[in-house]
Amino acid sequence: MTASVLATPEAAERRQSFVAQTAAMSQRAVLALWRQPAIVIPSLVFPLFFAALGASAFARAIELPGFPPVRSFLDFALAGTIVQGILFGSLTGATALATDIENGFFDRLLASPTSRLSILLGRLAGGMVYGAFQTAFFIAVLVPFGLVVEAGIVGIAVMLIGGVLTALAVGALMSAMAIRTGSSEAVQGSFPLLFILLFFSSAFFPRETMTGVYARFADLNPMSYLIEGFRDLTVDGLTASAVARTLLISAGLAVVTMAIALRSLRRKLRAR
Amino acid sequence: MSAATPSTTSASEPTTRPTSASTSTVAPARGLAVRSLRNIRRLPSAFLPALLMPIVQAVAFSGTFFAITQIPGFPTDRSINWYMPLAVLMGSSFAGVGIGFTTVRDLESGFYDRIRMAPVPRRALLLGPLLSAWARSALVVTIVCALGLALGARLTDGPLGLLTLYVAGLGMATIGTGWGLGLAFRFRDMRAAAIMQLTLFLALFLTTAQAPLDIMEGWLFEVASRNPLTAVLQLGRMGFLGDVTWAHTWPGLLAIAVLGTLAMLFARTGLARLDR
Amino acid sequence: MSAADNPPPIVAEDLVRHFGSGDELVRAVDGVDLTVHPGEIFGFLGPNGAGKSTTVRMLTTLLRPTGGSARVAGFDVVRQADQVRRNIGVALQDAAIDPLMTGAELLRLQAVLYGLPRGEHRPKAGELLDRVGLTAAADRRVGTYSGGMRRRLDLALSLIHEPSVLFLDEPTTGLDPMSRIALWEEIRRLNDGGTTVLLTTQYLEEADQLADRVAIIDQGVIVRQGKPTELKNEVGSPTLFVAVDHDKLDAARHLLAEMGELRPTAEGRLGVGLGEGAGAVPSVVRRLDDAGIVVHHLELKEPSLDDVFAEATGYRLEGADT
Repeated sequence: MTASVLATPEAAERRQSFVAQTAAMSQRAVLALWRQPAIVIPSLVFPLFFAALGASAFARAIELPGFPPVRSFLDFALAGTIVQGILFGSLTGATALATDIENGFFDRLLASPTSRLSILLGRLAGGMVYGAFQTAFFIAVLVPFGLVVEAGIVGIAVMLIGGVLTALAVGALMSAMAIRTGSSEAVQGSFPLLFILLFFSSAFFPRETMTGVYARFADLNPMSYLIEGFRDLTVDGLTASAVARTLLISAGLAVVTMAIALRSLRRKLRAR
Repeated sequence: MSAATPSTTSASEPTTRPTSASTSTVAPARGLAVRSLRNIRRLPSAFLPALLMPIVQAVAFSGTFFAITQIPGFPTDRSINWYMPLAVLMGSSFAGVGIGFTTVRDLESGFYDRIRMAPVPRRALLLGPLLSAWARSALVVTIVCALGLALGARLTDGPLGLLTLYVAGLGMATIGTGWGLGLAFRFRDMRAAAIMQLTLFLALFLTTAQAPLDIMEGWLFEVASRNPLTAVLQLGRMGFLGDVTWAHTWPGLLAIAVLGTLAMLFARTGLARLDR
Repeated sequence: MSAADNPPPIVAEDLVRHFGSGDELVRAVDGVDLTVHPGEIFGFLGPNGAGKSTTVRMLTTLLRPTGGSARVAGFDVVRQADQVRRNIGVALQDAAIDPLMTGAELLRLQAVLYGLPRGEHRPKAGELLDRVGLTAAADRRVGTYSGGMRRRLDLALSLIHEPSVLFLDEPTTGLDPMSRIALWEEIRRLNDGGTTVLLTTQYLEEADQLADRVAIIDQGVIVRQGKPTELKNEVGSPTLFVAVDHDKLDAARHLLAEMGELRPTAEGRLGVGLGEGAGAVPSVVRRLDDAGIVVHHLELKEPSLDDVFAEATGYRLEGADT
C-alpha cells in the first residue's frame, strides 16, 4: 500500500487509504462476530423461534380483519423476523465498540492516523455485512416451510439492501450509546429498550388490528413503516411504494443515527 | 448426623444445647431469606428486571395481539385477560431464576463457602432461597395484577381466581428456584445464568403462552399439549377466562408438585456436588 | 475435662484429594498426615498450588476427600460434617463477605446460622464488633470497608459460636504492618483462651512469630513438620548470600560450591551454606577476590524458617526478604 500511495495524486491517495482502512476495520469486525457465537447464535435462532411459534399459534389470526392477504402467517412474520434479528445482531458491534473503549483499544485507534469515520464505519460495516447475511439466512430457512416472497429475486435483493441499511441505522444508534457511555454493560442494558420499541410497532401484528393508545404508538413508531416496507415486498410484490419504504426509511434512519454517532464521536474527541 | 446430638468434646460450647430439627431448619432458612430480600433493596438492579419484564410483557402482548380474541373459540374477549397472567407467571419464574443469579454471585465471591460451613441441615440452605423467591413472586403477582386490573383485566369468578394465580405464581417460582439453584451449583459461574434464563424462557413459550390449544395449528399444538407448564398456565389463567373449576385446577397443581419436586431435587443433588 | 480424654483437635491420616481423571488427573493433596495438639497455634505453610487450601477445605467440610480420613474436634469430616461445623470457626482467604450487608447484619446472620438463641444475637454481635474495633462501622455496608476492616470482621464472624478450633486462611495477606501486628495479638489472645488455631500463611515470619509448630506442604505432601526451632536447627548452618557481576555468576557459583552447599536464592545472586559458621566468611571473600570476582553485596543470614522452606521445597516464597 505504501508504494502505491506514494505514486498516486494526493486526493486519490486519501480516498484509497480511507477505503483500505475501512476495509481493514470491517474485516476485524466481521472476524469478531465469528468469535462471539454466544451473541451471534441467539441473533439467528431467536427470531426464527418466534417466527415458528407465531406460525403455529397465530395460524388462524390471518383471517382476522385488518390482516393483509397472506397465504400463511410466515409470510406476514418475515419482516418482523428480519428486523428483530438485525436488532439482536447490532448488539455485537456496539458491545465490541464499547469494549474497545473500555480496554483502551479505541484510544489507540484514535491516536493512529486512521480516519475517525473509517473507525466508526469499520465497526458498523461488520454489522452491515451481517445484516445482509441475516436477511438472506431468514428467507432461506423459511422458504422450505412455505414462505413466499411475492416480489421475487429483485425483491429479495431490495430486502438485502434494506437489511444492510437497517443494520447501519441500528448499529450507529447503538454505537452512539457506546461512545457516550463507554460501557459495554450500558450498551447491553439498553437493549431491552430497543426490543420494546420493536414490540410497540407492527412487527408482530398489523397496526390495523390494534386500538387506542397502543395503536397510536405503533403509528408514530418509524419501526412500523420500515417493517411494513419489507412486509409489502413479501406480501404484495414489487411495488414502487414497498421498494421506496424499504430503502428510503432505512436509509433515512441510517442518516439520522449516523449523524448522532458522528456527533458523539466528535464530542468525545473534543473532550480529549 | 442428628442436629440434636450434643457435642462430646467441649462442655463449654454454647452450641451444644439441644435444638429440635424443625427450628434448626426454619430459623437459618428465614435468616437467609431475610438477607436475600434485603438485597432487593440494596441492589434493585438485580430484581427490577423480574418486575419490569412482566409489566412490559403484559402491556406489549395485550396491545400487539389485541385482535386475537376475535378468533372464533378464543376463551376471552379481553387480550389482557389472556396475557397478564402469562406475564405474571413468567415474572414469577424469573424471580426464582434471580435466586440462581445471586447464588452464582455468592459462589464466585466465596460467600457461599461461609453459608455451606454453617452447621445447619442442608435443606435449610435450599428453603431459605425458596422462601425469598416466594416473597419475590408474591410481590410480582401483586404489582403486575394491580396494574393489569387497572388496564382492563377482569376476574371472571371473583377473588378465588386471584388465589389460583398466586398459587401458580408460587409454583413457577419454586420451579425456577430449583432449576436456577441446581444449575448454579453445577456450573458455579455466569454460564449457569444464561442457561437458566434461556431454558425457562423457551419452556414457557412452548405452551399456550401466546394462544390457546384450540386455535393452534401444527407442531406447537403437539408440544404445548404435552408441556406440563401448559397446565400451570391454565391454573393461573382460569380466574380470568371463566369459572374456577377443579378440572382446571388439579393438572396445574400436579404439574407444580412434580416439576417443583424435581427441580428442588435437582438443586439438592447439585448442592451435594459442591464438595465433590 | 482432663487432657487425656481430649482427642487432638485436628488429625489427618493419609488425606488424599484428586481433581479430574485420566490424563487430566491432578493430585492436589497426595497423602497428608497432620496432627495438631490441643491449644496449639499450628502454622500451615506452602507455596501457591501446593495443596494448602485444598487440605484446609477438606478439614473444614467444604471439600470431600478422595481418600484417607480426617477428624476435627473429634469428629469425622465426612460422616460427622455437621458436628465438625459446629465446633470450628473459619476465616476465609480473601474474606468473602457479601458487600451489600452491614457488619452487624452479617454477624447476626452468622448467629442465626450457628443456632444462637434469639436473645443473644444482638449482644453477641455487639460484643464481637467491639472486640475487633468495628463498632463505629457496624451499620456500614461491608463494601465500604477497608481490607483490614474486612479481615477483622471476618475474624469476628468466625468467633460467633466460640469455636474450639479456629482455621485462619492467610488472615494477614495484604494487610499493612500495623494491622498485621494487631491481628497477631488477637490470635495470641484467642489462643491463650484455649482455642486451637490452624493458620495458613505465605509470610514465614508470621509463622515464626505465632506458631508453636509448623508443617510445610509441597506438591501435595507434607515435607516438614515440627517446631520452628527444631526445623531451623535441622537446616543448621547459616547462609552467605553473594551478589557478583552477571558474567562472573557461573565462575562464582563453581567456586562457592567448593566451599559449601549451594542454596536457592533470588535470581542473580548466590547462596552458600557455611558449615563452619560465620568464621568461614573471610575465606570465601578471599577466594572470590583471588579469582578476580568483584563482590557487590555480601550478607550472612542465620537459618530462618525461610531457609527451612527453601531447603524443603527448593525455592523461596514470593515476598520472602531474600
